[in-house]
Amino acid sequence: MRVLVVEDEATLRDTLRTRLADAGFTVDVARDGNEGLFAGQEYPLDVAIIDLGLPILSGLEVIRRLRAAHKTFPILILTARDNWQDKVEGLQAGADDYVAKPFHFEEVLARLQALLRRAGGWATPQLKCGPIVLDTRAQTIQVQGAPVELTTFEYRILEHLMLRAGDVISKTELTERLYDQDFERDSNVIEVLVGRLRRKLDPQDQLHPIETLRGRGYRFALPRDDASS
Amino acid sequence: MHSLSRRLLVSVSVPLALFFGVMMWVLDSGFRALSERSLQELLDSQMVSLIASAEPQPDGSYAPTPQTLDPRLATPRSGFYAEIRSQQHLWRSPSTVGLKADFGALLTHGERNLVYATFGHEGVAIENRAIQFDDDPSGANALTFSVAVNLSPYEEQLWDFRQQLFGWFVGLMVLLLLTLAALLRWVLAPLRRMEREIRAVEEGRNDSLSRGYPRELSGVATNLNALLVGERKRVTRYRDTLGNLAHSLKTPLAVMRSSLPGGGADAPLGAEIDRMRDIIEHQLKRAAASGGALLGQAPVEVAQVAADLRGALLRVYADKDLAIELAVAPTAQFVGDRGDLVELLGNLLDNACKWCRSRVRLSAVADAAAGPRERLSLVIEDDGPGISAEDRARVLRRGERADESVPGHGLGLAMVHDTVDLYGGRLAIDTSAMGGARFSLRLPGL
Repeated sequence: MRVLVVEDEATLRDTLRTRLADAGFTVDVARDGNEGLFAGQEYPLDVAIIDLGLPILSGLEVIRRLRAAHKTFPILILTARDNWQDKVEGLQAGADDYVAKPFHFEEVLARLQALLRRAGGWATPQLKCGPIVLDTRAQTIQVQGAPVELTTFEYRILEHLMLRAGDVISKTELTERLYDQDFERDSNVIEVLVGRLRRKLDPQDQLHPIETLRGRGYRFALPRDDASS
Repeated sequence: MHSLSRRLLVSVSVPLALFFGVMMWVLDSGFRALSERSLQELLDSQMVSLIASAEPQPDGSYAPTPQTLDPRLATPRSGFYAEIRSQQHLWRSPSTVGLKADFGALLTHGERNLVYATFGHEGVAIENRAIQFDDDPSGANALTFSVAVNLSPYEEQLWDFRQQLFGWFVGLMVLLLLTLAALLRWVLAPLRRMEREIRAVEEGRNDSLSRGYPRELSGVATNLNALLVGERKRVTRYRDTLGNLAHSLKTPLAVMRSSLPGGGADAPLGAEIDRMRDIIEHQLKRAAASGGALLGQAPVEVAQVAADLRGALLRVYADKDLAIELAVAPTAQFVGDRGDLVELLGNLLDNACKWCRSRVRLSAVADAAAGPRERLSLVIEDDGPGISAEDRARVLRRGERADESVPGHGLGLAMVHDTVDLYGGRLAIDTSAMGGARFSLRLPGL
């Protein structure tokens, strides 16, 4: 999952970057409104965290311009002014949720994961597709009740595919959202990782959870058990 | 006595009535003295002609000859009566026939008097004079001459005069007071206009007083306007400062928290940071709540605020299968600061959304019958588990949480309580027909 953090406070920005990366996110950071707007428009993001009190261009304005540019990824507001007037304005501008400063990182993480789930159409933190169950909070996988050990990158690919189960996701998209912007992009790595993932999830080759659509990408093929919207 | 014009009217009409009363008394006594003198003159002339016409009679008495007798004395009940009396003899004018006349006691020589008496039902003035003629055959006997005049024509005259006097004076006084009232209306019109305009400012229909006041009031109006503008600016600056203070304190707190190992979820320092956040949150917000309507502030439409909050909350609680029903009358208006209302409704609706199963309802109506500080009625209810009786009082106390697991719960409701208090409104918690908690608020409205 690729997340953009727009925060002018350096310590806070660095902490968020480190801890989000630890939590399995690919993190882009921006120091002010202009940088944030540029990153939001140019990078293939899954979600953004935007501080409302930004220099140069206010967070509110960044959100408005991103939405005007038809960017639909979920946006989480960070605000030090914890009043409803600001929250309402932020949400009306196009944000999806808010966290008041000073925050617990766990709360930010939980809100981010909830936003990602909601964007993928999932109502609960447990993504169930037939025998495969992915817990986004614990970051664990079970197949037919038995836990399966995955590497970080394998987990990220599976989470991405399962959050948007049923949708076709291109290799380029997967690469972009799993690696930092300056990482060397090699689609062969994705193919190798998907191959390993298939063997771990489906050693008997019976479930066929991940389809390959030639020239287009991958699709998580098992039907969702619990899909709300 | 709570009206200037009434005070003025009373303070002018009392001396006016006093003045007219004294005038009436003076004129009345003058007129009475005058009529008494003319009565005296009439009696004197009657007396003189009676004495002159008195002739000695063969029996030794005195009586006027019928030829010289005043015709009024010859006519019965004419109102003019006469008597000539001595120890032995008595002569009475024919006009006294059939009348119970008593002219009084005999006088000795040289005596004279004037008395008032009644002959039957007739009030009369009697003049008595004792005279001794030199040619009196019965020598030592003094004669007492008496003439009497009916008083009723004089009394009628006096009453006529008094009635006319009274009528004129009362008429004049009413006319004067009416003129005065009209003058007062005209003089006090600018004051009344100022009163109206101040009320308009209070109710938020205007933001300042208009121009064109008379010289004596224009200074007041200008100063009042300056005060209104100054107060609004001051409050805005005050709030901005508090907002900035909260903002600039919370970012370093966020930095401190994020720098703690493991996010500081369990560290004692983390708990202290949370406490500081709560203090900043609670105290600064309380200080920033304006605490009552600022003069000249436009009333806030509840419907608009409610719709905005509904949109925001539906976004935040997108996970929940949530229905927020708004039953807000278009007349429901809040007299006070918009920010305060947004904060109040935001906290209460957020709270309801947190606890409800699926339904939240906000009703707002204007209750014209209530006092100005309780004219807006707001009810927020949900279909959640509700709040137990012992928790209701606790939940309203500062920073206490009925359920510790839901962050921000207690703080938000305590802030609601504070704000309602500042506006002099009322807040009650009970159970909704929907099953959950019901918060009923009364706030200043139009």
